[in-house]
Amino acid sequence: MGRALLAGVHDRTLVHALRTSVARLAVGYVLALAIGIPLGCALARSRLVEQTVGPIVLGLGSVPSICWLPLAILWFGLSEWAIQLVVVLGAALPIAVATDNAVRHVPPSIERAARTMGARGARLMLTVTLPAALPGILGGAKVGWTFALRSLMAGELLFVSGGLGQLLETGRDLGDTALVVAVIVVIVALGRASEALLFARADRAIARRWGVEGA
Amino acid sequence: MFASAKAWLGPGVAAAARPSPAGSLTRGGASIALEDVSLQLGMEKEETEVLRGASLHVAAGEFVCLLGPSGSGKSTILNLVAGLTRPSSGRVLRWGAPVAGPGPDRALVFQDAALFPWLTLEANVEFPLKLQGLSTAERAGRVEELLRLVHLWSFRGRYPHELSGGMRQRGAIARALATDPAVLLMDEPFAALDAQTREILQGEVERIWSATGKTIVFVTHNVREAVRLADRVVLMGTRPGRILHEETIDLPRPRAAGDPRVAALASGIADRIAGEVEKVAREEADDAWVAPGAARPRDPRLAVGGGR
Repeated sequence: MGRALLAGVHDRTLVHALRTSVARLAVGYVLALAIGIPLGCALARSRLVEQTVGPIVLGLGSVPSICWLPLAILWFGLSEWAIQLVVVLGAALPIAVATDNAVRHVPPSIERAARTMGARGARLMLTVTLPAALPGILGGAKVGWTFALRSLMAGELLFVSGGLGQLLETGRDLGDTALVVAVIVVIVALGRASEALLFARADRAIARRWGVEGA
Repeated sequence: MFASAKAWLGPGVAAAARPSPAGSLTRGGASIALEDVSLQLGMEKEETEVLRGASLHVAAGEFVCLLGPSGSGKSTILNLVAGLTRPSSGRVLRWGAPVAGPGPDRALVFQDAALFPWLTLEANVEFPLKLQGLSTAERAGRVEELLRLVHLWSFRGRYPHELSGGMRQRGAIARALATDPAVLLMDEPFAALDAQTREILQGEVERIWSATGKTIVFVTHNVREAVRLADRVVLMGTRPGRILHEETIDLPRPRAAGDPRVAALASGIADRIAGEVEKVAREEADDAWVAPGAARPRDPRLAVGGGR
């Protein structure tokens, strides 16, 4: 297994696959945040959105994101976009649900205080409500990240794509257990590294501000 | 301390004599006026009458305490004056003009302080000044004056969770004073504090009020707190929330926490609202239980409703 890891690094297949997957993950995840957070805010703050889009978000959220792959392939063909659709859907919905929840649980006195100081509308949302909801949104962002990673691996396993998932598939085709395990190790490392790089600092910042119970 | 309070108020405010409450109770002169204000919440069958037919006039510079059990609509009156809630009927006026929404002339202080947890104390006090578009230099000077006024300057870098309840409340008062509002609305600001801290902060509020000439409307369910602080105590009853009676407190200031005159007046007022408190206790219990400590009116003339 160690040898497979070294070989993968040496002939660049593993490195290349990792780079491809991480790039996809980054794009998909940023898109998911860009969709999920505003959607969650709208769900929490607009009755109309809550009653129209709300049930759809909850309903679609219960569909494992990989189930979108056939549809994505019909729409986009065997392309980057088909995989991205799966990643974005997989991550955006839990982020939206968590944001919705977090915004609803902002203590009312926080927003009322801000309103008496003259904050309204978008400014109130951006400078008060969203920061106040940050601990909950961060929780959603973490869940979203793992969902994005899972969706991506599933998507890559299912069609030729050049990422880590495809390398797993190659390992299976060649009966190369060592390669399969090596890729799994890389995926674990990716998960741990992203936790350390992306979320650990945010967790610490929140614990510093809110105290332990708020984090 | 007194001097620094004057400094940030500027000459105009500090020099202005406080109008005498009695003289400005006429309609046009009342800084804040509620005229036959009612508020119902909820829909159709589940509608609750939060406030019924409340009329109240507050003079500029007056210290008024709203006193009553939970559900008597005291906080509702603050929210109406703050412009966060609109009345179902009646009018809420500020200098004779209807209150259309929140404004920088009226600041609200909450029981839970409501400091923003993601900002340092300093940034919290600075927040309303930023909203007003003050320059960085102006903000810095003002924040320092305010934090010194409430004796928290050396804690400016702390986050709210690193402060005690009393410190948070003082920080909230500093933040509320930041925009130099003429009216300070305080919603049970000390209810969650221990008795000692509460007494210290009562003294602080009286001091800040004397130094700044603000109009203060202070909500509390603590009779002694109301008597110690107020020029006038407004007694409120429940189910539906309404104003029962007003009592003018003309004890000399500053008033000490343990002043026997405060205690004597307080026990008289406690008798007056005992029936209302009992009513709440009975409604919140699941049987015919009556709070054993609830004092019954000793004199029928002092009974609730007698003042109407």
